[in-house]
Amino acid sequence: MRIGKKYLLYALVITSSFIAATVTTIDSYISSNYIKNAWAFGFSIFFIGFFTTLLLCIFLSISYNKKSLGSRFIDPSFKRLRFIKKKELKYHLIAGLMNATNTIGYCILISFVYDPSVLLSFSQIVIIYLLLIESFTEKNVPTLAEIQSSIIVTFGAILASISLQGEIDLQSLVIVFIIINPTWAFFSIYQRKLKMIRINGKLNDSINIRFWNVLFSFLFISIIILIWDVLFGSHNLIEGINASIDFFPWIFITMSTTFFAYVLFIRSLGLGSASVNNAIRSSSIIFALPFSLLLASYGLAPFSADPVMLLIKFIGMILIVLGIISFALTIVKAYIFINLKPGYTKKQVMKKIWDIPGVTHVTATAGKYDFIVKVSTRTLVKGYEKIIRKIDEIEEIKTYKWNSVLKDWENI
Amino acid sequence: MINAYILINMQPGNVDKAIKEMRKIENLAKISVVAGEYDIVVRAQVKNLEDLLGTTDKIQTIDGVMKTTTQIIEKEIAL
Repeated sequence: MRIGKKYLLYALVITSSFIAATVTTIDSYISSNYIKNAWAFGFSIFFIGFFTTLLLCIFLSISYNKKSLGSRFIDPSFKRLRFIKKKELKYHLIAGLMNATNTIGYCILISFVYDPSVLLSFSQIVIIYLLLIESFTEKNVPTLAEIQSSIIVTFGAILASISLQGEIDLQSLVIVFIIINPTWAFFSIYQRKLKMIRINGKLNDSINIRFWNVLFSFLFISIIILIWDVLFGSHNLIEGINASIDFFPWIFITMSTTFFAYVLFIRSLGLGSASVNNAIRSSSIIFALPFSLLLASYGLAPFSADPVMLLIKFIGMILIVLGIISFALTIVKAYIFINLKPGYTKKQVMKKIWDIPGVTHVTATAGKYDFIVKVSTRTLVKGYEKIIRKIDEIEEIKTYKWNSVLKDWENI
Repeated sequence: MINAYILINMQPGNVDKAIKEMRKIENLAKISVVAGEYDIVVRAQVKNLEDLLGTTDKIQTIDGVMKTTTQIIEKEIAL
């Protein structure tokens, strides 16, 4: 079945966000009640997470009517659990390291900030990092609209992350800005790169990507904690193993739920850039509010009925949503059909076209046109200034035709 | 695996119905409604040229399709 690409992206990301809000609430409950040592909690997440993910992947590999359960219900690209390919290795190594570091930061933060709506609001600032990184990696120079939206989201996140007692914790801000958001930004970008790789002619599947990511994250977190223990004489690794055994059911619940949040998120990364995905994902803060109230009602998270504090938090959330809407909904895509002058080869021109900012696909074709190029830009003005002017400068090009995409559907 | 773009010109007023029909065809990885020289651009992924012929035949039999132009992809660079 093909559905509108944009709607599929929203459905995947918003479902993933809802699950992520649930997971954060469960994590917050575990951290405040059972595993107080953040390092031990981080280790147990991946230790138990590895076995949980393996079991889920084996279950989803079961074939029914010639199609695996995973392919039927989660990701059509999934066939069965498979070994990693050589071309995926470097991306998995980076994504694994980033996820391990991010989880340590997250566990430290959750050990003293119990309110899920605060935790998730903090994480939305990742958009700024993603915009900066994508400026380099995806040749996407931010427009004024993108910068405005990002600033709105950031201010919204800061307001929404004020605890209901009106406190802003400096230690948490440092962890958020230096560890959690940068590592999440790189993690998203490398998960997207993995999703875009073709395996046996098909797009990579999110279930295998998640499984291998958990495995590599487990290896990296074990190494990081081991080094820390050796350097500082702590016993976090042993405590992590003990916590995994003592609180197995809780971690099993959180990691099996996390599995679905991540798999849907990785799948959505194949549909839109990491920044757009994370922009939509910030809807998780709205889902987190009822969970925060739930925890507060059990006395597990701070709560204040002060209307001013509630209003500030509410304004913050509205700003985030407004920022996201203006950010995610403004993108212009187009096909450009190009013919070359006689006497020039496609090979020498292909690289020149690829170097133009905003070009996402260059295909050399046989038929009426020599190239079909796909471009993506924030505005038509930017499309003219950054793309058309550059095409005009390529002397080998004889003619080109611009066809704006009005709507598209993708089988993914 | 052969990848190709099929560029389609439509009679006015038939695009919505044609899109519905195209979404039922296997081997079409992407369907885009565009404004410009063409009305619809589809990307086909087929095993061989015979399958490509089958796919273009299916598109050409859809009501309102006036003309198709097939471009076989020789090389691709993508993000």
